[in-house]
Amino acid sequence: MKPKSKHIFLVFLTILIFFPFIFLVLLSMAPEWRFPNILPQYFGPDNWQTILRSETGLLHSFLISLLISLSVGIVSTLFGFLISRSLYYHPQRKWLNLFTYFPYILAPVVFGACLSFFFLKMGIFGNITGVIIAQFLIAFPYALIFFSSFWNKKIKSYEDLVATLGGNQWQKYSRVLFPLAKSMLLICFFQTFLISWFEYGLTSIIGVGKVQTLTIKVFLFIKEANYYYGAISSCLLIFPPVLLLYINKKYVFKNRV
Amino acid sequence: MKISKHQLGIVFFILIGVVPFFGALLYAVLYSFGIVGILNEGFTFLFWKSVFHSGDFVKSLGYSMSIALVSVILSVGGALWLAINFTRNFQSRFFSFIIYLPLAIPGIVTAFFTFQLLSKGGLFSRIFHRLGWIESASGFPDLVNDTYAIGIVLAFITLVLPFFLLLFLSVYKNENIEQLSSLAKSLGANSTQVIRRIIVPILLKKTWIVIVLYFIFLLGSYEVPLILGQEHPQMLSVLIIREIKQYDLTKISEGYAIAVMYTIMVSLAALILFLPKKKISHET
Amino acid sequence: MDKSLNTLKYTYLLIFFAGFIIAGSSCSNESPDIQNQLLGKDWEYIAEESEGTTVNFMMWQGSPVINNYINNYLIPEVRKRFNIDLRISGGQGAEIVQLVMGEKQAGISNGEIDMVWINGETFFQLRKIKGLWGPFVDKLPNAQYIDFEDQYINTDFQQPVNYMECPWSIGQFAMVYDTSKIVSPPSNLRELASYVRKYPGTFTISNDFTGMTLLKSFLAELGGGTNSLNGPFNAEKYNDLSSQLWHYINSNKQYFWKKGTTFPKEQSKVSQLFANGELYIDYGFGEGGIEEKVKSGLYPKSTRVYPWDNGTIKNTNYLGILSNSPNKAGAMQVINFMISPEAQFEKSHADGMDANPVIDINRLPVEWQDSFNSASGRKYGPALRDLENYAFPEPAPEYMIRLYDDFRKKVIEN
Repeated sequence: MKPKSKHIFLVFLTILIFFPFIFLVLLSMAPEWRFPNILPQYFGPDNWQTILRSETGLLHSFLISLLISLSVGIVSTLFGFLISRSLYYHPQRKWLNLFTYFPYILAPVVFGACLSFFFLKMGIFGNITGVIIAQFLIAFPYALIFFSSFWNKKIKSYEDLVATLGGNQWQKYSRVLFPLAKSMLLICFFQTFLISWFEYGLTSIIGVGKVQTLTIKVFLFIKEANYYYGAISSCLLIFPPVLLLYINKKYVFKNRV
Repeated sequence: MKISKHQLGIVFFILIGVVPFFGALLYAVLYSFGIVGILNEGFTFLFWKSVFHSGDFVKSLGYSMSIALVSVILSVGGALWLAINFTRNFQSRFFSFIIYLPLAIPGIVTAFFTFQLLSKGGLFSRIFHRLGWIESASGFPDLVNDTYAIGIVLAFITLVLPFFLLLFLSVYKNENIEQLSSLAKSLGANSTQVIRRIIVPILLKKTWIVIVLYFIFLLGSYEVPLILGQEHPQMLSVLIIREIKQYDLTKISEGYAIAVMYTIMVSLAALILFLPKKKISHET
Repeated sequence: MDKSLNTLKYTYLLIFFAGFIIAGSSCSNESPDIQNQLLGKDWEYIAEESEGTTVNFMMWQGSPVINNYINNYLIPEVRKRFNIDLRISGGQGAEIVQLVMGEKQAGISNGEIDMVWINGETFFQLRKIKGLWGPFVDKLPNAQYIDFEDQYINTDFQQPVNYMECPWSIGQFAMVYDTSKIVSPPSNLRELASYVRKYPGTFTISNDFTGMTLLKSFLAELGGGTNSLNGPFNAEKYNDLSSQLWHYINSNKQYFWKKGTTFPKEQSKVSQLFANGELYIDYGFGEGGIEEKVKSGLYPKSTRVYPWDNGTIKNTNYLGILSNSPNKAGAMQVINFMISPEAQFEKSHADGMDANPVIDINRLPVEWQDSFNSASGRKYGPALRDLENYAFPEPAPEYMIRLYDDFRKKVIEN
């Protein structure tokens, strides 16, 4: 490729990447924008003001989503880290690891449909706890698989060293293991947070429409063909991860492969 | 003491990582044979027979596989092309950040966005109209909810291509492909040979499991085909949920039968992909 | 290490967790009797019980005007008046039935949902699994305004309502067309067949409740008259008429939208297609439901409603209380408010939800009669009485359930 065409292509690529963000913001600020208008006739914060003042509960959804995703992210990351260690030290770890892949590979929505009976039975159907547990069930295998590459002979020798030097369990984790895994813990939190933040199918089934996270709202607005409110919910859904990406930029993907 | 702590970890693992999966599978199996379910009257093969008879599963599987395969091939191809041609550019401060941005967009928003762009009343249709290429909205080609699943494939590409790009870039860096390439060049290889014999094989060899995993994820994808798909045939997850949530309460079991087949299929795939190999893999 | 000791610990832990799970499931059985005694109490008691509670309402959320009425009128009003926290969950028909079924199967006596918005086929299915609580409607003070002699109100899909569900709105299904695109819209099957040949791609049937209701009109026409589907479900009649219907659709569908290869999933999609000018013919409940769409500019001003020669369905939709609702008193209070003159008046605004009041205006206090009579009517759509001669009641629910299944099998998948 010639340098010039390369340059043009990169400009095009940049526009392509930013386009969805710009388009959704525009759509969310247009009360009327449809065929045959290329641009909306009016732009302004009207939709945002209306929706935030009304009882549509979008702000509530945002907070619920945040609560659910933070819980799922933190719990999955911690459990994933600790339990992947148990798995590593188990003689049959390879077979156990295999089991992790089953729930990981299954479509969450199908998993949820087949699990819903047990959630009903336990009285955690249609409430936030139930949704957190359900999302945890799919984020946890991810965390396990993610951390399986962390544990190796070198880490084990560090652990042995701590033991030889007379360190206790607390010291082992706080002084050695957590600092070593710091960046991986952050990435894992970020990823499991996103798994939860973006989840729709499983949430719709276990939440029975009662737990209205942002993805549920987006779908609701699409269904009623209210594209402007759909765009507002989409904006609320995509900008927090952008912020997280910005903060996490130097950590994410560093150790992915 | 130490061992019991490990045991505790394993018990937890079994309780939250293994039991739910097999519990769900068991429930679906029981339901599909009419053993559980408030309107079912006991063990029967009826639902399985009717699923096989209607051919729904096979049709939907074929449809889902074609869509997932086309999407993965196009995404991998596109990502390889980008990664190889623009390796240097993506290392710049600006690009190294913005190529992560697509990861902030979930499937449901991608589907919504694709619909807004490509439907007959969508943005592209309006631009075509302004340019005088079409007279009315109906003149715009079918790109969403269409027979060839063009909308779904485009949305899938939008979703996974950025991921593959990041993956390839990171392998490119970690495997020192740059050095290998310059070494090959100094030994007299031309750039086509370097790409064909060195870069692409290394990238694909290091990532093929992830690529297969993404194929399986797309196979079971739900939101995108729900919004952009058509009423028939439908992708697997959409079909299963529709059958399970259908009006005719006496036929819910058929949905579970399809769910069982799908679950067994992807589990087999997981077995094949991740079955412990005889050869002890390298440990560092 | 001592292996057997470890195995033992293992087993204990598993038992511990299993016990935890079972305990979790059995602790939710709480005196459903107290709730059932409500039917014997007077309204003061019920009103007092409902004060300050939370009511979960599951309803179809596919219409912006309805959602707006619920979110910005009903929820704030019941909070202000009764201190009731009304929460909405999205779900309709089969989803409601399945939720109740699941809860029954799991033995849950305190369900997730208190009240539901339903129509006949859901009423039928909920009754089949004993999912509805009642009869409660005669306990509601505002029920005095409802004319239970009206056959469109006391009979839902050919089933006596018997106060097991409370009427909320009444409306008629009607056809819609764009006068700027077509001069004389088709109003029977013969005309429709020649219409789609003249204007290919401009007509379709949505694969949802609305579309199935249109099919019922077609079915009645094939049956030879407005009331041909009345009475209990007749499988023989259904098989005969439906095979004619599928033959009719399949032989014409190449002239439908997208050449009949696919059908829209939802009515909202049909509306979008009509708004874009892809479809020239639309249809809907609430006498076509075009008022707000024209006023907001979604539909062109040239949009009009017209009747189908052989008639269309006129029906009532209802509010029910689930048998395992944990807050039946609260649900009764909310439902009573929803059929009050003020709530029904608000709901009838042509600018808003535009739904015909289900209460009989003549039974209201004079000042409310005046309000209803002086309210500005629809500008674009017809009034309910204009279509009076084209109305027929919903046939038995099995027709609907079979149509859903067969439309998919014999048309969509064909």
